[in-house]
Amino acid sequence: MEATDRAEDFVPAGFASFGIEADEIELAIANAAHQMFWPGILALISLDLGELEPERNPDLSRAPEPA
Amino acid sequence: MSALDLSLRDQAAAIAAGEVDAAELLEATLARIEERNPAINAVVETFSERSREMLANAPRGPLYGVPVVIKDEWPLPWRAQRFGAAELLEPAAPGESGPYLAMRDAGAVVVGVGNMHELGAGSTGNVSVYGAARNPWDTERCPGGSSSGPAAAVAARLVPGAVGADGLGSVRFPAAYCGLTGLKPTFARSAMAGHHMEAATTLIVSGPLCADAADCRLLGSALFGKELKVGDAAGLRIGVVHDTVSEDVAPEVGEACEAAIEALRGETAGEVREIELADLEAANLAAILTINGESLSGVTPQRLNELHPEISPINRGFIKYRMLLPAAAMVQAERLRTLMRRRLAALFEDIDVIAWPTIPAVAPPLESPMVELPSGTHTADQANVRGAALANLTGIPAISVPVGLGSGELPIALQLQAAWGRDELLLDAAEALERANGRRWVEALPPLAQAEPTEA
Repeated sequence: MEATDRAEDFVPAGFASFGIEADEIELAIANAAHQMFWPGILALISLDLGELEPERNPDLSRAPEPA
Repeated sequence: MSALDLSLRDQAAAIAAGEVDAAELLEATLARIEERNPAINAVVETFSERSREMLANAPRGPLYGVPVVIKDEWPLPWRAQRFGAAELLEPAAPGESGPYLAMRDAGAVVVGVGNMHELGAGSTGNVSVYGAARNPWDTERCPGGSSSGPAAAVAARLVPGAVGADGLGSVRFPAAYCGLTGLKPTFARSAMAGHHMEAATTLIVSGPLCADAADCRLLGSALFGKELKVGDAAGLRIGVVHDTVSEDVAPEVGEACEAAIEALRGETAGEVREIELADLEAANLAAILTINGESLSGVTPQRLNELHPEISPINRGFIKYRMLLPAAAMVQAERLRTLMRRRLAALFEDIDVIAWPTIPAVAPPLESPMVELPSGTHTADQANVRGAALANLTGIPAISVPVGLGSGELPIALQLQAAWGRDELLLDAAEALERANGRRWVEALPPLAQAEPTEA
């Protein structure tokens, strides 16, 4: 199935699933946010990070431990 | 020159030497805020009796008697933070926050609360429950956000230093827009206690906003709880990337930053190396997703249905949209964070700093914060985050340094980023850059600060 960024479908359906109420302006803002972020989100999810293991509780004040 | 117009370090030194009376300086500072603040809305609350009490009880620390502003992001003992909004999503109460304690213990006097972009969710400062803060260089322009008030207050010389917070560039953007130096410390090195997201955040840090790097070093030392020692940036290895972050910028910004990098290289007898840093765009999104995910801690749909009606429509809509961010993207963001940290660790074996423009264009109009770049017209938020989020995602320190004035006589800034814990090197490099420019840009004053000085 082809990916879609149709905010007018995704956002109202998502809000309805959570029981989140939104007026017209809030919905328009959320739709705009979705259109802005969704292509990048799809690209991020599709990014091939291979066998990379994320750091466990990384200490962000220091360089990472060697992989 | 009035004591009000001295640098942070010179105010501290003059008070310590008995050349300036701290009580008189405090009163003059309050008078100056009253006089200049209406034009910029940088300081949203003063509390003269509390400030006088603070001075009366102040220890003879390195900032004894120096007036400072703290962003509306931390509680004070007599005031809960409002985060620039009609209400926070999290509980807030008055208290002795880390930045407050750091200032108090250094002897500084908190004279006001700095305005900020509502809920920290913007790089421009044009949205706030208090009304927009304004840029002292042009009061119809954005001061930058989210630490808008602290930056505008220092740029207008209401105070010589202020404490901001940086979760996705929120110290560096306003520093850049207002012609200041702003340090985003290494994660967890500066005071954060009492922040309403302290337990949840892996990105936000407190940081100093001052006229120059030496003042940031002094104020930063208080925030770090340790002296940020002066070192030597000689032989600095400067990494530059050829990517959107450095190339999709207004020509005047690109030219000023290239000249600054060359000046820094010359001043330090260093070298410029081209580096590769893949997946920057994805890393920016990873940081955005992470901070938005972390801000959802404890937020329920019911809570979202009860948002205060005075929260701006843009934030009401966006806060609700956060609930729809997919978990798969959050997990991938965490994996990408690891990858970017490892890539940076490898890069910092061969270079000392990464340099690119802090902001791609000068401060946009308050009424329409859009910027024109070679790739087209963008919201300032979209464009600004490109250069800022990497440091927050990975934990590395970064500093914004003024390097010129562009169209409309508005500031341009260069950002330097270094390896974890090398905050001092960034300050050393910033000072080298100031020397290379004859301190021209850190001593440039906006029109509002050139007004007839208030006597102290």
